[in-house]
Amino acid sequence: MIDPVTLRIFGYRALFAAVVMVLAFGRMLPLDMTATNLPGPDLITALAMAWVLRRPAYVPAGLILIVFLICDMLFQQPPGLWTMLVLLATEFLRARQALSRELPFPLEWGLVALLTFAMISGHQMMLGLFAVDRPALKLALVQGVFTLVAYPVVVFMSRWAMGLRKATPGEADALGSRL
Amino acid sequence: MVVLCLGLFLLWRIDSPRVERFRIALIDRVVPSFEWASVPLTRMSNMVEAAQSYQRLYEQNQELRRELQQMESWKEAAVRLEEQNAKLLALNNVRLDPRLTSVSGVVIADSGSPFRQSVLVNLGRHDRIVDGWAVMDGLGLVGRISGVGDRTSRVVLLTDAASRIPVTILPSGQRGILAGDNTAAPLIEFLEDADAVEAGSRVVTSGDGKLFPAGLLVGQLARGPDERIRVRLSADYERLEFLRVLRSHGAQIITDHGGLILTDPLPELGSQTEGEATEEDTAAAEAVGE
Repeated sequence: MIDPVTLRIFGYRALFAAVVMVLAFGRMLPLDMTATNLPGPDLITALAMAWVLRRPAYVPAGLILIVFLICDMLFQQPPGLWTMLVLLATEFLRARQALSRELPFPLEWGLVALLTFAMISGHQMMLGLFAVDRPALKLALVQGVFTLVAYPVVVFMSRWAMGLRKATPGEADALGSRL
Repeated sequence: MVVLCLGLFLLWRIDSPRVERFRIALIDRVVPSFEWASVPLTRMSNMVEAAQSYQRLYEQNQELRRELQQMESWKEAAVRLEEQNAKLLALNNVRLDPRLTSVSGVVIADSGSPFRQSVLVNLGRHDRIVDGWAVMDGLGLVGRISGVGDRTSRVVLLTDAASRIPVTILPSGQRGILAGDNTAAPLIEFLEDADAVEAGSRVVTSGDGKLFPAGLLVGQLARGPDERIRVRLSADYERLEFLRVLRSHGAQIITDHGGLILTDPLPELGSQTEGEATEEDTAAAEAVGE
């Protein structure tokens, strides 16, 4: 039999993949084809960061790799680049798990903001370095701001609708060691 | 894993056609399977918009009546012009290009990224779609085919930052390049004399480089807020639902995915135009004479 803790972890992993797919699908709906100066938030990246900060075990690096590679492919982005940046950012957060657990929300938000803008500048730099057509810096920054505005909503939805909260000090993982 | 991503990115940079082919195959597999959900959702959101416009029904009705009045007079003029045109065509013995036929398809998805302006249509290799063909909605040019899968193909819109189309500005006949820049109204670049054109002039494709058939309506000139010359597109970009792909056999095809320079002309299909036929006739006559 599968023990309930493992089952829950895999359930949440599947849930993450499903939520990302729904978001990606929503972005691809052919509703409005006009070019706009206001790109919407990158909810998928925000979701990944929110989940890594709360339950790193639910979003292993492999899952992030697969999910973001598919998104890169679907959204006509240079494959692998944004995935790499997201991986670096989430691994950075994962390594600071102990720190981020006690972080109050405003500070967490600040940390995510720093990472988002680091990712955007890294993205722009890499594209520039490899002489790829890159999106206008202004638009990319606007998107970053929108992502950050949406971040608390993403966190709230993860918590309220999906029951995802930070690990409490007493919690243990499947093998009984403390998280 | 970071190395893997970097490797993939480098691979894409080095051998872009192969990776893009994979991407097209993937999208071809994934996106049509979403259609069962996307069609009702899109319909629903359009219905909500329609419901909002019902609230202004009375005003709209009045407006439409007024417009209809004006249209009646235009219709008269159009009918007269059509008669005249038919007479002149008959006099000149002109045959309109018989090779320009079209296939219609439905938009099934957009690019999903705010920095890429493209849509997927449900036409693909099975419908004999070829890279590089022009795509129109009912009225104006929308973009061009770039990437053909088995059941879907991608249309790069005129507003995409990578879109460059040779155009003519009509009354003055000046040539320029319509360059998308990720805004709703693309720029006109490389104009000979930017002062000589007026806002409101019609912009059509010029057919230069045999990229597109000449004379497809693109839009109207307008000065942007930054005083640069832009084009207000005739195609209704807010409601791209059905698209027409023009089978332009006169154009050249891109045999290689991601090939930038067109090299081989398409094999001639069907009948030839009048002009070519007469040329051949004279050539044949000369041969007989010798």
